[in-house]
Amino acid sequence: MTETRWASKISLRALPLVTDGLDLSAKLQTFIQQTMNGITYAGLLFLLGSGFTLIFGLMRIVNLAHGTTYLVGGYVGYVVIASTGSFVLALLAGGGSMAIFGAILERGLLRPVQGKWISELLLTLGVSFVMGDLALAIFGGNPLSVRMPGFLDRSSLIGPITYPNQRFFILAVAIVVAVVLYVLIGRTRAGAMIRAGVDDQEMVDALGIRIKRVFTAVFVLGAFLAGLAGVLGASLLTLYPGADSEILTYALVVVIVGGMGSLKGAVVGSLVVGLLDNYGKAYFPELAYFSLFAPMVLILLWRPQGLFGKIAA
Amino acid sequence: MIGGAVRMVARHSHIFQVVAVLVALMVAVIIPQLGSSFYVSLGLSVLIYGLLAISLDVLGGYTGLISLGHASFLGVGAYGIAYALKIGLDPIRAIGYALVAVIITALIFGLVAVRVRELTFVILTLAMGQIVWGLAFRWVSVSGGDNGLPVTGRPSFGPIDLGTDVAYYYFALAVFVVCVLIMWLLVRSPFGLSLRGIRDNESRMRMLGYNVVVHKYLAFIISGFFAGISGVLFAFYNLYVSPTMIDFAHNGTIVQMVIVGGLGTIWGPLVGAGVIVFFQQFVSISVQRWETVLGIIFILTVLFARGGLWGGLLNLMTWLRRRYGEGPPPSSTVAHGLSELDTSANVAVD
Repeated sequence: MTETRWASKISLRALPLVTDGLDLSAKLQTFIQQTMNGITYAGLLFLLGSGFTLIFGLMRIVNLAHGTTYLVGGYVGYVVIASTGSFVLALLAGGGSMAIFGAILERGLLRPVQGKWISELLLTLGVSFVMGDLALAIFGGNPLSVRMPGFLDRSSLIGPITYPNQRFFILAVAIVVAVVLYVLIGRTRAGAMIRAGVDDQEMVDALGIRIKRVFTAVFVLGAFLAGLAGVLGASLLTLYPGADSEILTYALVVVIVGGMGSLKGAVVGSLVVGLLDNYGKAYFPELAYFSLFAPMVLILLWRPQGLFGKIAA
Repeated sequence: MIGGAVRMVARHSHIFQVVAVLVALMVAVIIPQLGSSFYVSLGLSVLIYGLLAISLDVLGGYTGLISLGHASFLGVGAYGIAYALKIGLDPIRAIGYALVAVIITALIFGLVAVRVRELTFVILTLAMGQIVWGLAFRWVSVSGGDNGLPVTGRPSFGPIDLGTDVAYYYFALAVFVVCVLIMWLLVRSPFGLSLRGIRDNESRMRMLGYNVVVHKYLAFIISGFFAGISGVLFAFYNLYVSPTMIDFAHNGTIVQMVIVGGLGTIWGPLVGAGVIVFFQQFVSISVQRWETVLGIIFILTVLFARGGLWGGLLNLMTWLRRRYGEGPPPSSTVAHGLSELDTSANVAVD
């Protein structure tokens, strides 16, 4: 079942160090552990960043409600797990409810101002305000968290290091999603439409493909992944008012570093941000955010479109 | 009678604007004489956030660069004051210290920000704003972390002591008027015109030989500088600084002020600041979900009232002028607000 944990905003579950008589120094162990934390955190970031970058690449929309979608998806998952006890159901409900929300947002609010970039941006900002306030009204201001069931809640021993299974699970989900997205976009007809849409929307439209349907589909896919990430994030981090803007920033930096609209960029960006963030928090806790900012600035000065971005910024 | 009055107003819409500003100024001067400390505090909030929102309008409304990290400059200004006082500087030196910090921040952030435009600019400023917030939140030895920092003492200029709220209010009003006057003259100057040119069609301006990057860089620094001044005013008003005032929500709120008031109108953001402070201080008493209400108003503004409140008023004036007055209106009185930026994107896609 679930439990409400009172935790600080950045607390990850305590990871016990076991030396096991091997001659790995404690420092090296910490480093390995931080690296693993970084890679698994990158998994969560990828789930958010991939949807964000696809929506941007295709529709040129910066969805500022993406963080709120994550948070509300997590809350939905929390409620489902509290009432049914099923984690799988919680994942599906968190993702599914947000997919519906995404469809309503795209069809109802964004469609009328399609192509007007500033209006689209501001509308998603307004939606994030309203959703954030309503979530606060319903779920209150205390941090909530979800526990993964059974095996996933335990830890495994890998060499001398014990490591929580839930983090491996999140990474596994991210890898599966990455492979599915890769196949979907690179190998299927729908993916070809998306790729063509990223390159030349008007041409695709002129060829008789209903590009607007593709828009909705991609938007819904992004919202689904964000909701899914919310449920996973609820077990790894905690849910609280403000978690939405915090995770949104991470997703933004992932996409800026990796390049807008590029799936490959989202993978690389997630890894860069996940690792730097964990090293930063472990070794320079006071300046942790600089470890995010510095690479972003360097990359932007060198390549304003990001590492893999095609669109000139 | 009424028709005559309407005709009068319509013919002299520019005079109407001057009158409106003078009336607002008179109200601002009278507020402390009402004897309620609540109104003084309210007035200070409107002045400080109004200044911040107007400085964002110079960048967003006139140059086409909407920043979602503008509260950072308020933060750097306010934290600059608090930190300078903490390390033992006197209030006057602290102001110098804070403003230098603001300028350095603007110089550095601007360098990165002017390399990108439109959506990427928004994202970048958002990320930078979150990083400033993160530093305020985490860099405990400097910023005090979540607990924030106290601001110990207000400055006094010779015999003028700003210790009381009323004295400080008049000081803030004077600073506000001077700053807004400078910005108002700036957007009307040839420099301001070239900024608008860049907003409407960047490639054409580049073709005409304008150094677009330098223009944008200057606009960013000027806008950041005035936002920093609002931060200095904020620190001595609130006497306490904390990370909350520069978080994502507050960055968004400033954009909200500019849009609801009227993008690209200078006076509109002040109106917007007034509306939002009114919601925070009055509506919040009776309506618990006032933020939801404000969010919905914001969404409706974006959808249906794209010139904001002030822009709507200006457009009404223009309409009356067409109806009753003579000749086409001067272009400066037509407010397109958001539409201006949306169209500019179409040009820029090329």
